[in-house]
Amino acid sequence: MARIGVDVGGTNTDLVLECPKGVFYHKVPTTLKNQSIGVVQGVQGICTKAGIDLSEVEMIVHGTTTATNITIEHNGSECGMLTTAGFRDILHIGRHKRPYNFSLHFDVPWQTQPLVKRRNRIAIAERILPPKGEVAVALDEQAVRDACALFRKRGIHSVVIGFMFSFLNDAHELRAKEIVLEEMPDAYVTISSELARVMREYERFSTAAMNCYVGPKTSYYLRDLDARLREAGVTSKLRIMQSNGGVSTVDSCARRPIRILMSGPAGGVIGGGAEGEMADTPNIITVDIGGTSADISTIPGGQLKIMNQRDTYVSGYPVLTPMIDLVTIGAGGGSVAFIDEAGAFNVGPRSAGSEPGPACYGRGGEEPTVTDAQIVLGRLDPDMALGGDLQLDADLARKAVEEKIAKPLGMTVKDAALGIIRIINNNMALAIRSNSVARGIDPREFSIMPFGGAGPLHGVALAEAVSARDVIVPVAPGITAAVGLLKTDLQYEHTEAGILVLNSASDADLARINGHIEKLCRDVHAELDADGIARDAQALKIIAECRYQGQGFELRAEFPEGELTQDNKRVIIDSFHDAHEQDYGYAYRDAEVELITLRVIGSASVRRIEIPKVQPTDGSSIDRALMFVRPTTFDCGRTLETPRYDRTRLYAGDRVPGPAILIQHNSTTLVPPGYVAETLDYGNTRISKGA
Amino acid sequence: MNQMTTIKEVDPITLQVIRGALETIAEEMGHVLYRMSFSSIIRESQDLGAGLFDVNFNTLCRSGSTPMHIGSIPGYLRGIAETLEDGEWYEGDVVVHNHPYHGSSHTPDLAIVVPVFYQDRLVGFAGNTAHHVDIGAATPGLIIDVPDVYAEGMLFAGTKLYRKGERNGAMWNYIRNNSRAAQQLVMDIEAQVASARLGARRFVELIEKYGEGMVFGAANQLMDYAERMTRQRISEIPDGDYTAEGWLDDDGRNRDQRLKVKVTVRVRGDEVEVDLTGSADQTPTAYNVPFEGSTKVAAYAGFRKLLLDAATSDTRVPSNEGSFRPIKVTAPLGSIFNPRAPASAEARFTQCNRMIDLIIRALAPVMPEQVIAGSSASISFAAYSGVRPSGDYWVFLEVNEGAYGGRPRSDGPDSIDNLMANTRNNPLEDLAMHIPMICDRYELRDDAMPGAGEFRGGIGVVKSQRVLTPGFITHGSERHTDAPWGIFGGHDGVVGRCTITNPGKPGEEREMHSKFSGLAVGADDVMTYYSPNGGGYGDPLNRPARKVLEDVLDGYCSLEHARGVYGVAIDLDAETVDVAATEKLRAAMRKPD
Repeated sequence: MARIGVDVGGTNTDLVLECPKGVFYHKVPTTLKNQSIGVVQGVQGICTKAGIDLSEVEMIVHGTTTATNITIEHNGSECGMLTTAGFRDILHIGRHKRPYNFSLHFDVPWQTQPLVKRRNRIAIAERILPPKGEVAVALDEQAVRDACALFRKRGIHSVVIGFMFSFLNDAHELRAKEIVLEEMPDAYVTISSELARVMREYERFSTAAMNCYVGPKTSYYLRDLDARLREAGVTSKLRIMQSNGGVSTVDSCARRPIRILMSGPAGGVIGGGAEGEMADTPNIITVDIGGTSADISTIPGGQLKIMNQRDTYVSGYPVLTPMIDLVTIGAGGGSVAFIDEAGAFNVGPRSAGSEPGPACYGRGGEEPTVTDAQIVLGRLDPDMALGGDLQLDADLARKAVEEKIAKPLGMTVKDAALGIIRIINNNMALAIRSNSVARGIDPREFSIMPFGGAGPLHGVALAEAVSARDVIVPVAPGITAAVGLLKTDLQYEHTEAGILVLNSASDADLARINGHIEKLCRDVHAELDADGIARDAQALKIIAECRYQGQGFELRAEFPEGELTQDNKRVIIDSFHDAHEQDYGYAYRDAEVELITLRVIGSASVRRIEIPKVQPTDGSSIDRALMFVRPTTFDCGRTLETPRYDRTRLYAGDRVPGPAILIQHNSTTLVPPGYVAETLDYGNTRISKGA
Repeated sequence: MNQMTTIKEVDPITLQVIRGALETIAEEMGHVLYRMSFSSIIRESQDLGAGLFDVNFNTLCRSGSTPMHIGSIPGYLRGIAETLEDGEWYEGDVVVHNHPYHGSSHTPDLAIVVPVFYQDRLVGFAGNTAHHVDIGAATPGLIIDVPDVYAEGMLFAGTKLYRKGERNGAMWNYIRNNSRAAQQLVMDIEAQVASARLGARRFVELIEKYGEGMVFGAANQLMDYAERMTRQRISEIPDGDYTAEGWLDDDGRNRDQRLKVKVTVRVRGDEVEVDLTGSADQTPTAYNVPFEGSTKVAAYAGFRKLLLDAATSDTRVPSNEGSFRPIKVTAPLGSIFNPRAPASAEARFTQCNRMIDLIIRALAPVMPEQVIAGSSASISFAAYSGVRPSGDYWVFLEVNEGAYGGRPRSDGPDSIDNLMANTRNNPLEDLAMHIPMICDRYELRDDAMPGAGEFRGGIGVVKSQRVLTPGFITHGSERHTDAPWGIFGGHDGVVGRCTITNPGKPGEEREMHSKFSGLAVGADDVMTYYSPNGGGYGDPLNRPARKVLEDVLDGYCSLEHARGVYGVAIDLDAETVDVAATEKLRAAMRKPD
């Protein structure tokens, strides 16, 4: 039986296949219009490569940017919205903060590209009152029907329902949904209280609206892909990577596509985390460097971090859905280096993309990029890109660096190229810092794990910049995200508002919380049941999201085992104090702790891919892997004759002293002088300061 | 100890590296402060600023929070230097400062400053400012109609909360006993201290890594860079004197006296002067602007928006003193923009916003592609308060948004913080769960249309807040009489409004002045604020008919307005433009008869 991971990127669709014969990798061009075409081709291709029949595939796990791209390209569904009278423009006003402090000509994406146009946001008389949630004004059912008539007239099929205080009482949202489905049986309907049952109207409404905006197209894509695969003869289960790092079914993702808005980068982080395990190194910082951007995530003790809900934005819109905590910055191989009008030397965030691409691509790009600098410095061999499949032009790279940077700044081409690398590395190092040091994590206890084809060229420099312990290069850096897809579990999350001050909570309050937990567990079990997971294989975790009473931002705290009681509520309180101290360096130990949101995460483990070990070293010379020797310039400014080794011919235990470059089909690893690259059990590599 | 030698020429690469490190520190300081804080004005509105400074009070970096804060800290540092307890800094000191006649922006914005020592020598400062809910002024939260600065509450000048690391218990105790929101005040000051200490620690780490000479050399060079960039842009403006005038409603007490704001912009080569001579005399209420901490800061910020627009330029110019050097600000002592002590100067925001609006207007004839039409250029700042059954006060500060004027390439943004303001609103659901208030309406204004134009003005907000138990409201806003201006054929916007109603007394509506102090309100009284709508840019007849249709469908424009002002005929049932009728209408309207 075989399993396939397929990760769709902006340029390539990467695949990995695991079967009894071994592990196979494959790459096909991404079909931008409809990703599923490339996915099916890729699946067929990799099966041929492995010499197995399509029917032997038992599971396919897919990482997709389909939903994200809808938000970037603004081509989601025309949506209608039913909302509380008096609050028609919550989505238009947002948090009333501008994107820039110093600008008169800024764009406001939630106003110029609204998820729901104002004409389709229909105010409905109804009112739920805080703090208990009683009904003060009954739902105007006729108004709901009238709105449906208007939607039908306008050809709208996607309907958002978001009422004020529905986190306290969802009766009106549920009833409105019933009516909408009576009036428009085929409509794609989302109610705010079922997606994120939490306080804060704008974020909750935006989440529901986003679901409706990307929903119809995303569910069409997923179902279409499923059908195409079946047509091609695949009978396997299809699973989708979610933003929280767990996989889910097509059906569930089609109903709640907001859960897969960060599907793409999540695979990379999971893959990086799994590689950390393979290297017996639980503390890692993953750096996934692509053409235009780099995704950075910190994984302490092998545990993925989930982003604070106050920070989960997608293309400028808040979306309350759990996402792996990662920062994305505009730094990649295609980042453009330029001198601005007042003479400052900048690299990125603008990117040359793949068209025209870096100057060395010879597609008309004249501005120097990071890739061009790597070529000038001899770190990338123009004849070896993608194993020689892609020919690069070193002269064009040199010319671009010389004319746009070196001449204007009066420096040598070498220094200009080194400068480009240093600035881009610094930008990445700052992002690493913001995701680690700024959150109380000490990088000296962490290893940098660089991946993406060009990632391992930057690994050592980044480790030096943030004082990380060492660098671990994954087995197949160009394809780590696809491998990550076969390294994760099924996972579902449900939330409920459970607002109360813990210190002074009464027994009745605690009973209410226990009731919520019971319901949440039931909901999560139901989802896993529907996936055919046996109860004893389902693991549930309960989280209490708390803040000091009066604060505005919650942090995650532990929930005690069993029922919440007056005796064990201290567990939540103490764990919240600790989390506060960890994140902000300070805890108000005497202040009262308020519970805001309850969250239950259910998971079921899926069998993980097993990467085969490589041959242990037999004591023979590493010369067996030597390809050739060429001059290469390092960050210290020295240009040294540097041997290139075929990474796939190195044995576990081999130690390659720097200066050296390790080459494989999808990636290049730089080992500067003074460092040693040690091949680990799986062909992965640890680079550390040479002793 | 060795004195440092500043490196004159830091290479361009190291320069970018140090700049990035400095900016990260400032962001980290701001982040810790607002995430930790308790009062909604800090944690939600992010009415705060944070940064690092050298011993000459130059800004090395600052967080991207609220513009009014981030330029004002150097003024505080100069004021602290004048008033510092002990007359000198010790390692481990923490100072609180808010005296408006010693450089503060206004009294509720407390600065917390920590000196940074390196090898036993003072090398700089880490500091932040944040707006506090209540510092014990005459009325809860905000003030307007008060006699002098002593009615503003606790005044701190160079006051040490910690001396050599030792907590000054008496001072903390004093603060705790002089505020209606003591717990929030004290815990928010603690958050400020945590943020400033973090900044100081990071500052030292940076110096250890790159060396003192390199770090300060880079900082100097970044200032020169910002200055060069600003001068370059100023020199693109034709030399000349450019003037604009507008009127403020009143001072919050004397209702029949409008207050003039006059702005003269003098451009000479690569330098510019903002002269406020001719503006109203200082007022007898709190409606004055501290010169150092607010007037100058606002003028600088105005030019930064106009000349170094962050959204349209490829490069980011660092936020430091460099961009201020070519700009001179003049306001006669004794005027509303430069009051004499002991005049109160707490309610100063709307005047600042208006000044920026008039700088833009003055320069419109020579910078048509950079300016925008008149914005709301005010702010609505409301303090709601009451006494809980326990006898404790609750106080809630709310900043309401405005709307932008039409722009040369796009409509003015709707219902959004305007010009100097850039805060976040409070989640309505969060509020109602925690204080005896509930919001009845929060939408775009539909009682009046925005200024028409090829690019229309932004639409203001309407917000109705109902108090559930008796309490007090103080409200400061502007522009009930002087509407935002249209330009280049664009029409004027619409003035703001404020009413008090009560659902139990239908038909009764009290029209309120734009400013009022300590108004006692009863249970279920509702204050409704309508912010001004922005002015239009360019001739409405040039607005594409399709966009007029969109506005009609979205309820931003009535059918009559579309026809009468834009010359666009619309078939509402088919939701389309009647092209032939529109062409005819527009032709007739263009032809002067």
